[in-house]
Amino acid sequence: MSNSHLLMKAGFITSPAQNGVGRYVCQLQRVVLKFCKNNGSSRGVRDFIESDLVNFAKDHPGVVVYLKPRRHRGPVIVAEYLNGEKQHVYCRNFTSEVVSKWLTLLKNQQGNHEGMRLRKMWHTDHPSIQGPWTPYTFREPSLNLAEFPNDKLSSPASLEPSATDRLIEAFKKQQLKELE
Amino acid sequence: MSSLKRVQQWATFARIWHIYDASWQNPFQSAGLLKKYLMGTYKPIYHPLNDCGDHVVVINSGDIALPGDEWKKRVYFHHTGYPRGASWTLAWQLHKKDPTLVLKKAVYNSMDGNLQRRYTMERLHIYPDANVPADIMKNISNQLATPREVPKRLDHYSEKEVEEFPKIMDYPKNYILR
Repeated sequence: MSNSHLLMKAGFITSPAQNGVGRYVCQLQRVVLKFCKNNGSSRGVRDFIESDLVNFAKDHPGVVVYLKPRRHRGPVIVAEYLNGEKQHVYCRNFTSEVVSKWLTLLKNQQGNHEGMRLRKMWHTDHPSIQGPWTPYTFREPSLNLAEFPNDKLSSPASLEPSATDRLIEAFKKQQLKELE
Repeated sequence: MSSLKRVQQWATFARIWHIYDASWQNPFQSAGLLKKYLMGTYKPIYHPLNDCGDHVVVINSGDIALPGDEWKKRVYFHHTGYPRGASWTLAWQLHKKDPTLVLKKAVYNSMDGNLQRRYTMERLHIYPDANVPADIMKNISNQLATPREVPKRLDHYSEKEVEEFPKIMDYPKNYILR
């Protein structure tokens, strides 16, 4: 198995100023699609531009979409975020559905987490409602006044009565019957 | 960290001092129980890197009970590293020399052989009898229940208890006790 996670920087997933709790602001600022006009590796990007790009741009008016036709170069999507981070995705030989999925990811992200090991895929400001566990959470209150070492606490919790206990109980019952 | 969160951290990672009475107990069975508290695996916050182990004070380690023939047959091997440095010590011989070692070795050998073992063992305090230093007794806040019930010696029953105990059968009247 790979050990690349050992040398990666590790961080928690975050959103700037609790984005989405109240108002949601799309963190993607602009997206640049660079492609070649007739090379085969850019075919998927070109198909995407012809079919879904305009819908994407209309659905997200806050994101600026740039198209840069660059001859004899491989296709790339470069995404820039509001915090200044950049992420590029090489789209060589992608289909248009794959390009569309990548764009959705870039739009939904709160920032670029590439090259970082995400320690948890979730974040919450209130991980515990009733309060985190302490060694005193489920502690018997009688222990507070106990003197140590204590014979009663040391004996194991008996689930079944022993033969001696049963005998004594039977004797007590017999004595009660005799009294009646 | 705010002061509230700092106090919460202290509460969650508080180290508890437990006491365990080893008299009449099987040290190998006790080792499994003590290991759980020394490593802190009973805690929901357990992680090997968390340093969440508790202290355990064991008393009466001189009164442990080994099963069957183990006192005569269990052997502890030691080699000094030098030629002809091998020695085989029987359990009763080791117990005579140092009454805490049989239990200590039982706990040590029950743990995984990783780098944390030596540090975890530092938190185990074994005493051959019930004399524990006062400053350690002050810290103790919990008692661990023994896996085996301690039987009561027949000569430790009071006369009153013997009289009140239900008699199931008695010697015949003609019987002469030797």
